[in-house]
Formats: sequence, structure tokens, C-alpha cells
Amino acid sequence: METFPLPASIGRVCPHPCERKCRRGKVESPISIAALKAFAADETRRRGEFAAAPAIAEPALAGKRVSIVGGGPAGLTCAYQLARRGAKVKVYDQMPEMGGMLRYGIPEYRLPKAVLKAETDLIASMGVEFVNGFKIGRDAKLADLRRECDALVVANGAWRSSPMRIPGEDLEGVLGGIDFLREKPRLDGRTVAVVGGGNTAMDACRTAVRLGAKAVYVVYRRTRAEMPAEEIEIVEAEEEGVSFKFLRNPVEIAAADGRVAAMKLQVMKLGEPDEKGRRRPVPVEGEFEELKLDTVIMAIGQKNDPAGFEQLVATDRGTIAADSAYRAAFKDEAPGLAPVFACGDAVNRGAGIAIQAIAQAKETAESIAAHFAGRAFESGLGTISARDPERIDFSVYEKKPRETAAVRPAAERRADFGEVSKGLTAEQAQAEASRCLKCGCHDYQDCKLIRYAKALKTDVLRLRGEFHPAELETKLVSIERNQRKCIACNLCVRVCEEQAKKGLIGLVGRGFTTVIRPEFRDPAAVAGCAECRLCVDACPTGALRLLAK
Amino acid sequence: MLIAAYAIGARDAFVYVRAEYPLAIVRLEKALADARKAGILGQSVLGSGFACDIRIKAGAGAFVCGEETALIESLEGSRGMPRLKPPFPAEKGYLNKPSNINNVETFANVAWIILNGGAKFAAMGTENSKGTKVFALTGKIRRGGLVEIPMGLTLREVIFGIGGGIRDGKRFKAVQMGGPSGGCIPESLLDTRIDYKELGATGAIMGSGGMVVMDETTCMVNMAKFFLDFTARESCGKCVHCRIGTRRLHEILTRITEGRGKEGDVELLEELCRGIKDGALCGLGQTAPNPVLTTIRYFRDEYDAHICERRCPAGECAALRKFWIDPAKCKGCGACARKCPVKAISGEPRSPYAIDSAKCIGCGSCEGACKFGAVSRV
Repeated sequence: METFPLPASIGRVCPHPCERKCRRGKVESPISIAALKAFAADETRRRGEFAAAPAIAEPALAGKRVSIVGGGPAGLTCAYQLARRGAKVKVYDQMPEMGGMLRYGIPEYRLPKAVLKAETDLIASMGVEFVNGFKIGRDAKLADLRRECDALVVANGAWRSSPMRIPGEDLEGVLGGIDFLREKPRLDGRTVAVVGGGNTAMDACRTAVRLGAKAVYVVYRRTRAEMPAEEIEIVEAEEEGVSFKFLRNPVEIAAADGRVAAMKLQVMKLGEPDEKGRRRPVPVEGEFEELKLDTVIMAIGQKNDPAGFEQLVATDRGTIAADSAYRAAFKDEAPGLAPVFACGDAVNRGAGIAIQAIAQAKETAESIAAHFAGRAFESGLGTISARDPERIDFSVYEKKPRETAAVRPAAERRADFGEVSKGLTAEQAQAEASRCLKCGCHDYQDCKLIRYAKALKTDVLRLRGEFHPAELETKLVSIERNQRKCIACNLCVRVCEEQAKKGLIGLVGRGFTTVIRPEFRDPAAVAGCAECRLCVDACPTGALRLLAK
Repeated sequence: MLIAAYAIGARDAFVYVRAEYPLAIVRLEKALADARKAGILGQSVLGSGFACDIRIKAGAGAFVCGEETALIESLEGSRGMPRLKPPFPAEKGYLNKPSNINNVETFANVAWIILNGGAKFAAMGTENSKGTKVFALTGKIRRGGLVEIPMGLTLREVIFGIGGGIRDGKRFKAVQMGGPSGGCIPESLLDTRIDYKELGATGAIMGSGGMVVMDETTCMVNMAKFFLDFTARESCGKCVHCRIGTRRLHEILTRITEGRGKEGDVELLEELCRGIKDGALCGLGQTAPNPVLTTIRYFRDEYDAHICERRCPAGECAALRKFWIDPAKCKGCGACARKCPVKAISGEPRSPYAIDSAKCIGCGSCEGACKFGAVSRV
């Protein structure tokens, strides 16, 4: 909850790029981070403990009014983070309810609306005002909103399906992927083709199955190996009876009686890899195939709708241009109006996954806070150096299988919109969490060393040399000391002696090899530790940490 | 000391001696016992009613305890680490009381001045530096040892006059003045007078009075490495500049002497040295870069030879040394091959042996083993 207010929703829908980076993956398979997030969120809600993270005191935004256009993951996260700082936040959304694409793009079987509702309700309970059914351009001009607030955030998302640019795509029976997911028309007895290989295509084909379609095809111009969709989504779609037509590219949609009747497909083959290393599909000269059908769903991408936002400076992709502090610019800037920030799918590189929009929204809130505090905004801390995971010996860890949530049988789930995944059980969640290697630094957010290094633009690696030879970890009553993070600044020694009046720890050894140890390296010397934690608080890196009881 | 104590009204006095010098401690103890017996120390010094006693504190041998505030910490029973100054010891010293802290040599001079008069002391020496100074003359010198000389003599007079010049007919190369954190003075500056100001201008210091003479077989990079090895070990660890900085200097110097130097290393050394001089808390760190800075200043060509040509001009750095066997002198006895630790020497008895330079590690064992002078450096 420290980061964003939608853990139960994101835990269910996120394609979790984090899991690809998880170092447990080097042992056998990564931690089920997303499933654990959903479990933790569901469990706290079940216990009635679902609550916002503590308010942020510094810098406080009490009395500041911020209006947000768009009630999706970006807009809601931004609202939540601003509300935690005491701002008076108002969120405008064109749809009847909040949630954006999480509500209107993600199918119910992946994210039940009730789960999302609980999370949006929490945001409302923090005093954030929701205004639904409000469309910029129709109900008010963007400039009008700028007059009613001290800062405006545009997070209106990408709600238009990208066209295929082929003859016949305007026919009746051709739908945009996200439009189809939003409207969910019955498809009883229909033959449906979904064009595209991403997660939206998977959502569309599986939704089509549930809406009664007789046959559902996915048409994709490359092969299964190149599909950007999550593997689990492809597998579950197959289980539910979806047929895949690989290496086929639609070139024309044919009509009969004014509606879709067939789609002409160009047969493709894989050519040379492109700059991303993905093999480019190239047409096989003269080879075509015809697919008889009556519904086509285009799920090849989505774009933002600039209507109502014409005054904002745009990128050459047509998205809103935002700078590194998430500031957007008005083409004819008038003085005295609230500054405009922008984040999410409508900005810069366009549509991505929800968690990327959320990350931007969190930083946007920080940028707004910095703006009111009169400070320059600096994006996340980043890292100074990272150990190459290839050079770490993971063989010391015992292999334990990854826990995955049970799913309902395909025959049962394809008939309704009930949630496919049953979620992790408490036992599974504990087993899964215990697989964590705890490789991250617990003090990363508070590390003074990395902040100083960044502020002073220090090239830390230039003078890289021998490392501090200290042992990895020593336990000191309830305090864990990681000597490899220790910079021997001596603050803990001083605070123990001068403030706690104990003097239990001291410096052992001289110069470079100095380590911090109980007096005379005697573990009994720390028996007098009252666990006042002053040393943990004083530690500027992450060398000291309090162990959980 | 007693005079100083009387002058400032101190009751307690200490002599701080390293515990590794037991002979000095034994002698000092005898002197103190004798003084007490003679009534010079104690409740009423010479019957004057002034009470003062001197105690001996045996230090555990940390170099940094020569720094006055670290010495005071050590006296108090704490870890020998310098304090931030101010306050200076004259305001808050031992047990936070005003303290006077001086070198033995200084106190010794005081007694002489009182006995003989200030004018007589000032008659010796130069404008800036009066009196005499004791030096420990050592290294590749014919006659080494402790010498007390009047200030103002030139280095040449001390080394070639008193010291009798260089041993074994070798050429003079440099003199390291002022201990491990002093500086190196080349032959061209041998006519520098021994005077605080003039010595300081060369980059060296008077320091502890160490005077280590080096001849042409000493590699100046290796010499700087040797002193940095010492200061890095003796750094107390309190401030980052000294703790990490001296270590990094030593690592870079090691790299250079092992033939792994990189272009820009000398500039990096200089930058680090400046950082350490500016940032270090006490004299140890502030002066530790001196050997590096002065050798770069006067012997930059040796650094460049190591880095660019992978060559040690003095032939001292083992990793950069290569040997060869003169076939005309080699009798084929095989003594060198038997001594070689890496089996780089091969040959048939009674015919000239040869060294495989790819295997040779430059240790020099063969040179020492050869009775016929057939092995020499390339």
C-alpha cells in the first residue's frame, strides 16, 4: 500500500515483468510475486484490515486542490498518493464507475469487479471525490478544470483500438478489441476471429468463448513463440477451445449482405530478426487463405484519444508529451493557470501495462509534491551498481517448486465469467514466500549513501577496488548486521555509547579492515542490549536491521 | 618536562612510549625512580612544595598515536583515534583538561636553552629554523645512525659529508625525508638546506627526522608503494579519506609495479592524493600521500616507464624484471636451474643454460645462485 492502492487487482492482472528479474529464477523458478500480492491484499481485506498506508507528512499538501482526468490505474494511484499528503483530490472519469481499463478492459474472469470496487472504495474513503460520466471536451474544457484546482493531472489512458488499415474494416461485425471487451455483446452461434497476439487478444478470444461464440480463432502474423501475450493466457485460451492461426495476416475483410462474411489471410513466414531480436514476418508470395466468419475483433493495439486535449503539446505518436517530471505543456500557455501533469497510457510512449502507468502516477504525485514544496523533482534512486546474477552462485540454495494457484477446469470456466484462478491458499502463500532469497536491500529507500552519491554525481565505480573483507552477517540480539553494507561510519558505535549510554559495540581492527563488533568480539558483551534501536535508526546504509520477532 | 609542568602548573605528566621499545621503557623507569629518590619528582619537588610526578604509558604500537589527539585518547584508555580539532589540546586535552603535549626532542632542547641561553641556541641554524635537529640517517649510506646537526646544513653535507656517501660505489638517487609520510628529494635538490621552510618547499617534511638514502637500484614507484603499505595499515579507520584512500593508492601503486598500470593512473593518483590531503582528519592522512606526490613530481619518468613500457628502470619490480644467461660466461653447472622456483631454466650440463622468459617471474633467484656472474638483468 506504500506504493499503490490496487494490490488485489494488480496481483491478478499484472504480467509481472518483475518475476523475470527475480533471482529465485536462477535457482529454479521465480517467486510468484503477483499471486502473493493478490493473496496478501485479499487476506488483509478478509480480516478487515485493508487500509491506506500512513499519511505522508513531508511535504504535506494540505489545502492544495488537485484535479485528475481519468480514473484508471494511473489516475487512482496519483489520487491516492496525493490524498496521503493531504491534498483535496477530485477524479473525473468518462465511464459510470472508476477503475478505467481494469474495470472496462480486463474481463471479469481475471479480475472480479467486486475486488476492484473494494480498492476504489478505499480511495474514496480517503476523501477523494469521484466524478463519473464526465468527459473532457463534452462536459468541460481542459482549461476550465485548470481554473478550479492548483494542479491538474491528465491520465486519460488509451481507449481507441488501433485500426488494421485493410479494406473492409469499417463493415458491421468488425469490432475493436477494447471496445468489444467493454461492451461484451452476445456472440451466440457466431464464428469469431481475433486479430493480434497480445494480452488484449487473449482477453478478447476468451471473452468471445464465454459470450457464446461457436468458434473462436486467433489470427497472428508470427508464430506462438513470438506472441507477446503471457504464456499462461495462451495455454488457458487453448484449454477453453480457442484455435490459433499462426503466420497469417489479414489483408481484406469480405462482406455479404453488408456485414462481415470472410477474411482473406496472407500466409507469412519468419524472416530476419528485427532490432529487438524478434523475427520479422514476411509474406509468402501469392499464398492466401480464406477464413469464413461473421465477427472480427481487432486487438492489435490501442491509442489515446486526443479529443478534448488538443491544447496539450503532443509527441509524434500522437500521445501527450510529458517531461521527466511528468509536466505537460499547453500550446498557448496562459499565465496564472494550474500546472498540468500527465502520466499513464496517454503519455509519451503510449499504452503499456497497468503497473507502468501506476509507477508513473506515483512519481507524478511526488513531482506535484516537489512542485508545491518548490523543489526540483528527481525520479527514483536507481542503482549504482548491480551484481551480475550470472556470477552469483545459486547452487547453495535448496530447490523448491514454485507454488501456483489452482484454476477451475476449462469446461466449467468457459461457460461463465467467474474468476478462473482460485488464488493461492494460505499454506501455498507461506511456502511461496519462504522461497524468497531476500536479495534486495531492505534499506534501499532510506539509504543515505546512494542519495549522497546521486546528489554529488559521484562516479562510485571509478575507484572500485578491493572490497571490505567483513563477514556476511552476524546476529546481535535482535539486530542483524550485514558487515558487507557497513561503511564503518561509526554512527552506531557512537549512538550506543553517547545516547544509549551502553557502549556495547566498538571498532575492531585498524584502517580498511575495521569491523564493528561487540567489545573483544565477545557475544556475551551485548547481553546488555536493551534493543533501543537507536543504532538501527542511525545506520545510513542498510547494514543494520531489526529482526522480526 | 618538569620545567614545562612547573610553568603551566601541571601535576601529572606522562611519557608515552611504544611497548615495542622495552629497553627505552626500562631506562626511563630507572631514570624516574632515580629522580624520585633524589626528590626531583614527587609531592614536593626539590622541597619547593610543588608536586608533580611523571608516569610511563606504554602504547600498543599504533603509528597514529604519534598524533597528539590520538595519543591523548590512548592515554585515556580509549582506542587511539584522532579527535576533531579544535578544541586543541591546550584547551581540552587529557581528560578534557588543558594539556601541553610535546616531543621528547623539544623538551630536551628546552633544558639546553635554559642552561645555555636563548641567544646561543638561536645562533645555530637559519632564519626560520634555529638550533639543532636529530636525524636517523639510514638506507644505502656508508655510515648510518643517529646524527644531531645544526639546522641549515645542506642535505649533501649530511649525506656525503657525515654519512660518507653511497655504499658499494652506487649512484645517489633520492632521500626520503621525514618518515613514512615524508617526501622524496632528488639529487638535483641536494643543496637544499635543512630548514622547515626550505624542506617544505620540496614537498618533503622534517617530520620524525627520518632520512632514508636510496641509490640507483631503488624503484621510486615501489618505494612509494612500500610507504603507502605502511600508512594504509596504520590508518586508524576513523575518516574515510584516509581509510579507503590510502588503500586505493596502494592498490593502484601495486597495479603499476606489477605491470598492470593503466594510462591515467598517475593523474588518478594525484587526484586521490589531493582528496586525501584535503579531507583527512589528522596529520597521518594529510601527509600520507607525500611519498606518492613527491615521487610523481621528481620521478614521473619512472611511473611512465612502468605504465607505458612495462619496464622498471631500477630493475627492482619483480614482475617487470627479466634475466638472461650470458652463454660466454655460463659453465653449465645447473645451479640456477635448481634454484628456479618455476622451472623456467633449462639446458644440458656443461653447456650454456637458457631462461624461458615466458615462464620467468623475475624473482632473481638465478642471479643469486650463479657463481660466475653469467646471469644478468635484461
